Amino acid sequence: MRTLRHAAAIAWKDLRSELRTKESLNSSLSFSVVVLLLLAMAFDTGSEIVTDYGGGILWLAFAFSSTLIVNRSFAREMPNDCIDVLVASPASGASLFLGKAVAAFALQSGIQLICLPIFGVFYNVTWWRNPWQLLGVLLLGGWAMACIGTVFSALTVNLRLRELMLPMLMYPMLVPALLASMTLTNYLLMPGAMPPDFAQWLRLLIGFDIIFTTLALALVETILVR
Amino acid sequence: MRSKIVLALGLVGVPLLLRNLYVILFNLPDEMEQGPVYRIFYYHLPAFFAATLCYTTAMVCSILYLVKKNARYDAIAMACTEVGLAFAAVNLITGMFWGRISWGIWWAWDPRLTWALICWLVYFGYLMLRKAIDDPTERAKNASVLSIFAYVSVAITWKAIEWWRTQHPGPVLSIRTGEQRIDPAMEQMLYVNTLALATLAAIFVITRLRQEEVQREIDALRRYAHAL
Amino acid sequence: MDERNITFMFYGLAVAWGILAVYAVLLGLREQDLKKQLETLKKMVEEKK
Repeated sequence: MRTLRHAAAIAWKDLRSELRTKESLNSSLSFSVVVLLLLAMAFDTGSEIVTDYGGGILWLAFAFSSTLIVNRSFAREMPNDCIDVLVASPASGASLFLGKAVAAFALQSGIQLICLPIFGVFYNVTWWRNPWQLLGVLLLGGWAMACIGTVFSALTVNLRLRELMLPMLMYPMLVPALLASMTLTNYLLMPGAMPPDFAQWLRLLIGFDIIFTTLALALVETILVR
Repeated sequence: MRSKIVLALGLVGVPLLLRNLYVILFNLPDEMEQGPVYRIFYYHLPAFFAATLCYTTAMVCSILYLVKKNARYDAIAMACTEVGLAFAAVNLITGMFWGRISWGIWWAWDPRLTWALICWLVYFGYLMLRKAIDDPTERAKNASVLSIFAYVSVAITWKAIEWWRTQHPGPVLSIRTGEQRIDPAMEQMLYVNTLALATLAAIFVITRLRQEEVQREIDALRRYAHAL
Repeated sequence: MDERNITFMFYGLAVAWGILAVYAVLLGLREQDLKKQLETLKKMVEEKK
């Protein structure tokens, strides 16, 4: 209970400071829109097959923008050694991680919700065919990115090439979740009944979330304490 | 002492490797459907086993490091990861040559291949992360955590052929499937060559480990010389 | 079986041996480099004393 209360406090602090300065929010949102725009140039958006790769495009844009958000997650605490204060505070490492991940997740979800209609316009896609399932996939995939991203942000925060190392470590690790999210989104963009392996991909995504959240909660204390 | 172990392993491993090569090329018959190219498999699968063994040791040593904070475990984990990457490269690239003949393409985005490649990239990232951190304790700690995370993708590779119906051939070894799917002589050769490659991996790991220790000695001397 | 089949078998085996040989050579080179570094450093420390 205490863990959750501390986590909520940290998440709220992060969100508030982000909403006031908008330092990663603006760059992340504009970057994902630019990615959507560029990929629209690369593909023939008028054709029917856009539902075959639409999910892939959408999640690529999300993945790119998400690194910009989680990059700031711990980097924000570096000036004035705020990180040391946070580690020394009564909040446990797990609640610190949870708070940061939830904040990143909320920001990311906001960006995803803005990107979705833009994606629909650019690519001529009827994305509201299965709105609730799509929302579920967005939440599950978004949590996977926020969770892995926050852990790796903590791992790389002291590095010289932080901006480069974070995506290099994060994307390969994220591939299972991204692959599942892309496939599920493609299925949900398609008209007609769901293919039989829908449940299998969904299981993979949920399993990924559970495994990595558990690992992150267990290991984050060791990462943060120096 | 350690160089004696390396020598002993070398005396066992290298002749075994050469003998295996001879038997694979000249004594074992061609596979009925695939022809001679199937012989790649005698390196493909043992290299995968050797790599998995290395990754697993790295994971165990990373956990041990986090528990005991002994820098030695971190050095072992690092040496194992690097050697594991070399063997995983053998696994991936030999597989590509086999696929070119059997499937007509160099690379298929099939779950097993994809996951094996992801493992390679993740562990490569591990080495990159080590290079980027200067402080030894910080490096050991962060790398250990990453190694534990990375092992999840190894576990997925292992199970991928059961979870998905793939283009990649299913398991053939009788200890895994519970039935004799390939000729016993061929299966025996797979085990013997796995042993040979594992011996080679052990030699590499011990050598790399010694180098890491020398490197630490050098770093310490540098600091000392700086302080003088 | 056609000729390509057997050629690719040789390529595959060559690659397997090749990668391991290259790794062994790299290990050897690093060994020499480290030894040289260690010796220079030791000499330097001796001189400074």
